[in-house]
Amino acid sequence: MPNPSDPPKNNDNDAELIRSINDGRQELFFELVRRYEKSLYNFGLRMCGNPSDAEDMVQDTFLNVFRYLKGFRYETKFKNWLYRVATSACLKKKRRSKFAPERELSLDEFLPADESAVSKEVPSWASQPLTQVLDEELGGIIRNALLELPEKYRLVIVLRDVEGFSTQEAAEILDLTPSNIKVRLHRARLFLREALRTYYET
Amino acid sequence: MKRNNPKHAHQGCIALFERLSEYIDRELDPPTCRDIEAHIESCKPCQVCLETLKQTVDLCRHLQRQQVPETFSLKLREVIFDLVEKKPG
Ligand SMILES: [Zn+2]
Repeated sequence: MPNPSDPPKNNDNDAELIRSINDGRQELFFELVRRYEKSLYNFGLRMCGNPSDAEDMVQDTFLNVFRYLKGFRYETKFKNWLYRVATSACLKKKRRSKFAPERELSLDEFLPADESAVSKEVPSWASQPLTQVLDEELGGIIRNALLELPEKYRLVIVLRDVEGFSTQEAAEILDLTPSNIKVRLHRARLFLREALRTYYET
Repeated sequence: MKRNNPKHAHQGCIALFERLSEYIDRELDPPTCRDIEAHIESCKPCQVCLETLKQTVDLCRHLQRQQVPETFSLKLREVIFDLVEKKPG
């Protein structure tokens, strides 16, 4: 039998912290900032593409979190809720600046055009260990390719593959169905793979 | 895809192409995985396709993270300090 004083099942370190903040220990909000400013800043960089927009996004996110923290429902994982707030801060930001045009990516555009476009060997960039391939220059190629993705695909691949959320979590954050997440993720990955192929093979 | 490439034009390759991400993410049931593995074993283009996609995903997962600029970090704390002061528990 669970002890009634045990924290609820879905509790994590964050939930405990938020309970304390909501119980009046507001100075603990700085601990929340310490935990998440780096991931949010990097999420902002991947999504917005420049440091000043990323900073604005992080600040807006924490301000909104501060404002709405009382309404946080503890059955949600705090980090997912945080990224929901961050995502809407990103989208607001984006309406004011220039971003990749919105368009649908279709699977067909990633199918090899003809026989000559079908590789018979795994190219060296894909067969070598990651540590030998991923240098500063390649990092830049990937970051730029992410920014060239239409936003709805970029959000999904950044949450799933860069930030490491699961399909289910990304679906919660973006209010999409898991199968929608999977479709967008696959196309975004194919888009990125094309960018890598172009970088290495032309 | 052209029809004169018998190995890579058949429906199996296209069906597999659509599910590669789910395969990489281990989101498919075991029989489907076995089908995919059997196909890849015998189809070089699909194998290349899988390996390049896998590496793409791995590269994303390992992108270097940047430090938060210190000036911003301090500014952020000032903004929050003001909030905390204004709205005591
Ligand atoms: Zn095949």
